[in-house]
Amino acid sequence: MVSDSDNFGVALRMKGVSKRFPGTLAVDTVDFEAHVGEVHALMGENGAGKSTLMKILAGSFTDYTGSIYIGQKEVKLHSPAIAKANGIGMIYQELSLARPISIAENLLVGRLPRKNGFLIDQKKMIKQAVGLLKNVGLDIDPMQTVDRISQHQAQLVEIAKVLGSNPCVLVMDEPTSALSRQEVSLLFDIIRRLKNRGMTIIYISHHLSEIFEIADRVTVMRDGRKIDTKPISEVTPAKLVQMMVGQAIDKFYVQRKPTIGKTVLDVRSLTRKGFFHDISLQARKGEILGIAGLAGAGRTEMARSMCSLDPVDFGTVTIDGKELKNKSYAESMSKGLQYLSEDRKTDGLFLRLDVKQNIVSTLLKPHTHCGIYSSRHENSTARDMIDTLDIITSSVTEGVSNLSGGNQQKVLLGKWIAADPTVLILDEPSRGVDVKAKMKIHEAVMALADAGKTIILISSDLPELVGLSDRLLVMRNGHLIGEMQKKELSEESVLLAMNGDIDESGK
Amino acid sequence: MNRENKTKNIFSLSFIFDRIGIFLPVILLLVAGSMVSDKFFTAGNFLNILNAIALLGIVATGMAFVTHSGSMADLSIPSIMAFSGIITVAALPLGLFAAIILGICAGLAIGAMNGFVVGRLNANPILWTLAVAFFMEGFMRFTWSNNQVYPDIEPGTAGAAFINIFRINIGPVPLIVVVMLAMFVIGHLVLTRTRFGIESKLTGSSRPAAKTTGINVPRIVMMNFLAAALCASIGGIFITSMTKLGVFYLGTGYDFKAVTAVVIGGMMLSGGRGNMLGVFGGVMVIGLLTNIMTFIGINTFQQNIVTGGIFIAVVGFGQYHLRKRGKDYA
Repeated sequence: MVSDSDNFGVALRMKGVSKRFPGTLAVDTVDFEAHVGEVHALMGENGAGKSTLMKILAGSFTDYTGSIYIGQKEVKLHSPAIAKANGIGMIYQELSLARPISIAENLLVGRLPRKNGFLIDQKKMIKQAVGLLKNVGLDIDPMQTVDRISQHQAQLVEIAKVLGSNPCVLVMDEPTSALSRQEVSLLFDIIRRLKNRGMTIIYISHHLSEIFEIADRVTVMRDGRKIDTKPISEVTPAKLVQMMVGQAIDKFYVQRKPTIGKTVLDVRSLTRKGFFHDISLQARKGEILGIAGLAGAGRTEMARSMCSLDPVDFGTVTIDGKELKNKSYAESMSKGLQYLSEDRKTDGLFLRLDVKQNIVSTLLKPHTHCGIYSSRHENSTARDMIDTLDIITSSVTEGVSNLSGGNQQKVLLGKWIAADPTVLILDEPSRGVDVKAKMKIHEAVMALADAGKTIILISSDLPELVGLSDRLLVMRNGHLIGEMQKKELSEESVLLAMNGDIDESGK
Repeated sequence: MNRENKTKNIFSLSFIFDRIGIFLPVILLLVAGSMVSDKFFTAGNFLNILNAIALLGIVATGMAFVTHSGSMADLSIPSIMAFSGIITVAALPLGLFAAIILGICAGLAIGAMNGFVVGRLNANPILWTLAVAFFMEGFMRFTWSNNQVYPDIEPGTAGAAFINIFRINIGPVPLIVVVMLAMFVIGHLVLTRTRFGIESKLTGSSRPAAKTTGINVPRIVMMNFLAAALCASIGGIFITSMTKLGVFYLGTGYDFKAVTAVVIGGMMLSGGRGNMLGVFGGVMVIGLLTNIMTFIGINTFQQNIVTGGIFIAVVGFGQYHLRKRGKDYA
């Protein structure tokens, strides 16, 4: 534990730390320093390497290079257990709680109090759990199961659990992504309390407003490298964004003059109970329609149901005047409604196959006559997409798993561009890719819209959403709660709207 | 285009090995066979070998469909073989042609059930088909009171024609060998040239990705189990014709032998890889091994030990190889 006396000491120092993945240097000789008793924000675009850097700290890799000091002592963090023993606490975006068991058992997992050798000491367990919950200001029955408490409470339980091991450095990765504004301010109170007790908090977030509210210093990463560390008082939001992006933001998003035509996609009161309710929206030819929302708002669920990948309770979807019968995704595809899925690794790409096979996978039907498939088009189609999207690959027959994340994502996009959609739903089209690939993807998306396609863009990347959308719909808790026009769009306004402040604006 | 040619040259050795990998052991076994006996390299012995592997080849073609499309293996194949054989024998009074159709339909019925439960209800294919095999054995023993079913083999009857199926030659080549070769060729064309074949490959590579590519995954799984059942039924009719009786245990062992042939032929159990040519090579390896072991006087049980050992080695090595190349996303 850290005493109050060395309040300006260095709690954590990483020197020349690197981590290589096949094909990419995810973290490139990073020097990082965090003081005792500070909230240190870590920022960067998706794929900038901040999560990898924190995973190194958490002991997830055995093969990083460089040295890490905690306090004055050099440590080799080669397993999660070693990291924990050295006082590193991690709170991830996804909670690590087991939902069907009690809060107390979750809190004390691995060190449950025993009596008579192997029986669990129930009374002692409850007493310890109540003590831990008090740390985060929670006054709830510790014998409840986790699935009975709210997301916010679960998050606090998670924090209490990590605090139970007395960490001196606490890493929080996007802790507010599922919280409301009130809940965020409660969380910030707790963070301030921990900081005053001398704990070092490394805070990862995409939300600029949060960083300025809570952080003392900020480190920005880009493309695996550290760009700079600055006291928060010396930077502005625009400056931070520029550090993250590497160029001024207005240059990053080319202004596009959309030519918007007639309504192509018409969705009426689409509902899947428990996921989304009464969704009605129209999208027009040549339009990029953004959909904003927090994680869990039901955006992906809505998109999947819209194109019949998932079931629908009621409601209609009409493409170009033709109503979908909601039978199969194949039907939606052939009527021109197509969906680029959220997670390229699990349900987007065929990772065992090569670039060509992935790109042409959507083209089986048009090239089949009487059941016989003609592969003659494959090379030229694949070449076309490789050129259009600047896919970096040694050949069309390179295994897609050997490509970098950005190029994999381009292959996924190429697969759908090749299929020539009327309406293309893009679900996180640039998640986890580097800035260059992202720019190329954005260029391609704008080109699609200019070519008269209708694009529905679902993204958690605010600059992307703000920069690309011609119009934006806001979704919260399974409902569409508002619509914003191009001129109203800014990162701040969209962020506020996602958090539900459109309908609370009267307050 | 230039770039492609270059890479192909650089990796040509591994490229060639990937293509003909399985025929390396085939050649080695041919050399070994010629050393074991001077009767080995005779047309007669080769026809013998082909004749001996024909049943396995027919069944393995079907198994390959299931493996290739990502459903691992169909362990109900032996019971499908026995069942279609019994039904064919029982239906012989209706005439040979009708009996064969009914026998095949009986096998397809089991395949349809497998396809539905694995494709639509997402059951684990290994466990489900194992359960079906167990159920079918009980069902056949109960229905036919644990008895064998004999065809009436008076000359001129359908039964006589039936037991002849296994014994007919087309020229010097037995019918069963012709059927096997035809099925490999058809299987190869289906897998590489039809939309169904490509969609099966995509499904075998990744079911979720196939779904989001617009492929009707349950239907593809169903069709592949039907293909396996069709091949097993044809194999069942041949084996029943060979033994001149229908009985529940006729297909015993063909599940494992077929999986072995498929896997050493380069089709990964996790699906999406390999081709029919490789499977044919796998069948050849097993056939040659058995033939050579018989030549040098190794008995059946010891032969099983060898075949099982090879299976373990190939699967283990294949997984190790994939993991080293970092390509195991199974």
